[in-house]
Amino acid sequence: MKKVIVGNHAVSWGVQLARAEVISAYPITPQTQIVEELSEMCADGRLPARFIKVESEHSAMAACIGASVAGVRTFTATSSQGLLLMHEMLHYAAGGRLPVVMADINRAVAPGWNIWTDQNDSLSQRDTGWIQLYCENNQEVLDTTVQSFKLAEAVDLPVMLVLDAFYLSHTSEPVDIPDQADVDTFLPKREARLKLDVNDPRAFGALSPPDMYMELRLRQQEAMEQALEVFDAVEAEWGERFGRRYGAIEPYRTEDAEIVLVTSGTVTSTARYVVDERRARGEKVGLVKIKMFRPFPTARLRRALAGIPRVAVLDRNLSPGRSGIFAEELRAALYDLEPARRPGLDGYVIGLGGRDVTPDTIGECLDRSRAALAAGRAPEREDLWVGVKP
Amino acid sequence: MPDDRPIAGPARGVSPAAASTTPGGRPVAGTVQGAPRAAVQATPVERPIADTVHGVPPVAVSTTTTLVNRTGSWKYIRPVYQDKVAPCNQGCPVGIDIEGYMNLLREGRTQEAIELLLRENPLPAVTGRVCYHPCEDGCNRRGFDDAVAIHAVERVLGDLALASPLPPPAPRTWPETVAVVGSGPAGLACAYHLARLGYGVTVYESELEPGGVLRYGIPEYRLPKQVLARELERIRALGVSFRCGVQVGGELPWSALAEHHAVFLATGVHRSRPLGVPGEELPGVRAGLDLLSEVNHGLRPELGRCVVVVGGGNTAMDCARTAVRLGAEVTVLYRRSRAEMPANEEEVFEALREGVHFEFLAAPVEVMGEERRPEEEALEAIRASFDEEDARRSALRLAGLRCTRMALGEPDASGRRRPVPIPGSEFLVPADTVLCAVGEEADADALPEGLPRDGGAVAVDALGSTGLPTFFAGGDLVDQPHTVAYAIGSGKRAALGIDRWLRIRAGELGDGTDLAELRYGPAGNVSMTRWRGDDPVQRVAPLNEVVTPERINTDHFRHAERHADRQHPLEQALGGFDEVNQGLAPEEALAESRRCFNCGVCNACELCLIFCHDIAIRRRGDGRFEIDYEYCKGCGVCSAECPRGAMAMTREGL
Repeated sequence: MKKVIVGNHAVSWGVQLARAEVISAYPITPQTQIVEELSEMCADGRLPARFIKVESEHSAMAACIGASVAGVRTFTATSSQGLLLMHEMLHYAAGGRLPVVMADINRAVAPGWNIWTDQNDSLSQRDTGWIQLYCENNQEVLDTTVQSFKLAEAVDLPVMLVLDAFYLSHTSEPVDIPDQADVDTFLPKREARLKLDVNDPRAFGALSPPDMYMELRLRQQEAMEQALEVFDAVEAEWGERFGRRYGAIEPYRTEDAEIVLVTSGTVTSTARYVVDERRARGEKVGLVKIKMFRPFPTARLRRALAGIPRVAVLDRNLSPGRSGIFAEELRAALYDLEPARRPGLDGYVIGLGGRDVTPDTIGECLDRSRAALAAGRAPEREDLWVGVKP
Repeated sequence: MPDDRPIAGPARGVSPAAASTTPGGRPVAGTVQGAPRAAVQATPVERPIADTVHGVPPVAVSTTTTLVNRTGSWKYIRPVYQDKVAPCNQGCPVGIDIEGYMNLLREGRTQEAIELLLRENPLPAVTGRVCYHPCEDGCNRRGFDDAVAIHAVERVLGDLALASPLPPPAPRTWPETVAVVGSGPAGLACAYHLARLGYGVTVYESELEPGGVLRYGIPEYRLPKQVLARELERIRALGVSFRCGVQVGGELPWSALAEHHAVFLATGVHRSRPLGVPGEELPGVRAGLDLLSEVNHGLRPELGRCVVVVGGGNTAMDCARTAVRLGAEVTVLYRRSRAEMPANEEEVFEALREGVHFEFLAAPVEVMGEERRPEEEALEAIRASFDEEDARRSALRLAGLRCTRMALGEPDASGRRRPVPIPGSEFLVPADTVLCAVGEEADADALPEGLPRDGGAVAVDALGSTGLPTFFAGGDLVDQPHTVAYAIGSGKRAALGIDRWLRIRAGELGDGTDLAELRYGPAGNVSMTRWRGDDPVQRVAPLNEVVTPERINTDHFRHAERHADRQHPLEQALGGFDEVNQGLAPEEALAESRRCFNCGVCNACELCLIFCHDIAIRRRGDGRFEIDYEYCKGCGVCSAECPRGAMAMTREGL
């Protein structure tokens, strides 16, 4: 069934299809529509889940954690300041190896007060131990929502599904909604392998002294590493059933490319358009979309980018005092390539706080990288700001 | 996880090594459904987590049961279940377990709710209509949204009781018989309880039919005669006999009651206090009580167009509303302001709704007769000799009531500010009839000689004993508010007092009754159930303390609008003496019972069990809960979350 729905509702429909059992959330723009719709689904019986109203995002995540330890499928959604308030609990969900699924609508962080999109909210949760998946369109949002539960529950790690404020959250697109029966086969009821049991009480989150703590972290790291392959398997099964796959990363027209854009989120769609346009003019450009930010698909990115003369990373985010965060991650990922195959890398900071990223913005990035490549110049800075007022 | 799922195998393990050692779908020790907890507790078993890798489980979970950690040793205070008293129970002059019947009704145990109500109150269909429900004043729900409409629920239960089969005669347990003099609410209550306690009871009534003020005082539009008749049937069915039309102390001397082993006096107050102003002997000036009695006897006296009611109590309101129904324009004259009016607020509201005019801060100075020419008077006298109707009409010939404005001065003994006349403020209120409702007093001549008195009232102890051997008293004769509920309450206390006295006299009981233990709360009325010691409601470590609003955890309640009584439309109400208040439907009463906080009494809501972090609270077979002090850390969350103050934290013994 196709429906024209906004990205937020694509999340809600995905959660309904996944038959989440406990939903706890606190409203925040631009996420609110997600849980608003879910609360209605819970109220009118379409989704027989327990909807827990709470007084803060911290509590929302705490409620999800509690329910998840008890063995049920849980979901929440948030944005920006709300996500930041959850920070402590994000570590707890990941360290507790709880397959909580959360949608984060990328919204710039205050101050200055701003409800528009950029990625600093989710990226500043980089080290909390959550799998992060960035989406490009509403269909991908719905598909990824359902897949996230399967992925999370397979590796016992929480998944953060990320989409751009307004460009996805509030933009309507036709979305194919799979049949419930098919989704039920794809995603059966959660079977927690370790959960609270009043008949055999154990301490969850127990004291872990120095002779244990490292091993627990190692197991978490191994699960993260495994998540990439599991994601492939999940996508493969989804693809078989529903005919759509996205990939942890997606190279686009990178064959023989001299310059490759690296993108995430909705900027990717604009970049595809620019690549097509430039290719039509005979320019050898391509792009690599990064969907999975954690675990970081290092090996795949190395393979995709090795030997490319110049890489232009488009970061809708900023690590102040350094550069765009994707650029930073990529520099580290590509460092081990032998120098001859290691691309030059330009890190562009664009579109912060919802500033429009137009084909011209991306064109300017490409032009600057091409000029640098032609001149054999290293980037003059790690952060190249494009689209700022003089 | 089924093996046919493509990622089942490798995904379940965390690393490839883990996957090979832990086949997908194999249960992990930590989730194995073990023996019931009690068994585990006896021998804590170490059950390692199966998919241990690197020597650690997948998460920071204890590898052994936490039952080995007896966290109960941490606490220095412990929670206990401790039932208390709901403020409504204490506030009820009858001494009804209101909270108890609300809970039974809420649980759908309607018949049991009715029985619990009838344990304390012989006349619920009456009090559900006419009691001014002081129980609701203390309702803890008041500070949350609005008090529970207790009176309306009682009325529904009372009406359901009337529709139920009559009870069998009460078994006669004791040889003694008791005479009850007066069949008003106090007398009926005493008779009812004594019959249920196993005594032979005879009620003496001077009127031709029993009921006293319920029949001859309270107007039909507040209490239909049919309701009273059916309540009386139930009391008769218990075996109480009635002798009506007999004036004890009149044609039947007090000595005739000597055949009985005790006498309960509940003859009420009938003598209207005089206005104390010139002209009150004029025809057209009448005692309010007499009017009410006349109308209740089925007469419809002619009052003329203008009626002035003097007084601000409930009798005044009854008179005013009755006069309105007889077609008069009514003015109520009250010497203080509305705030000081002793009449019930609802009665005042209804009187206003029905068009009664109020003159506050005004007092009568003189009743003015109409000056008539001699020939007119002669003519009327001739007419009157032929026609009784004309004679009555001629008696109406008042000019009006000369009044003075009052101001409120210093507080008097009652604490209310004393009204003081304002000089030169006199005015005339036209009146065809003046109804006097400034209070009533007992007719001392009609009582047995030697009764100890306390002012105008008969002096009694807490259980109605006058001190004069065999004589007990209650109702309006004794010093208490003149309401139906207080009368019923005093009748019950006296029944208890008579039972106790007779049993002590027979040598079957010591005299060490602790009255405090029989009361609902320190200030409440006694409970017949407590006296009999057969409370059907299970109570845990009950404490005779009233639950204050602070003890209620309102977080666990939703706002819900109080169900208002349905009232007859005004035009219908004024058309006659039909009952104005139509009460609630049974399903609305059920909804009201759901609004009840059940203050102080565990109703098995389970919040303690849900909130206990240590899973140290368990439901017992009988539906109540127990705390496992081996593991309870004394955190106090259960007690803090208890919505109704039915738990307490006590100091841990050393």
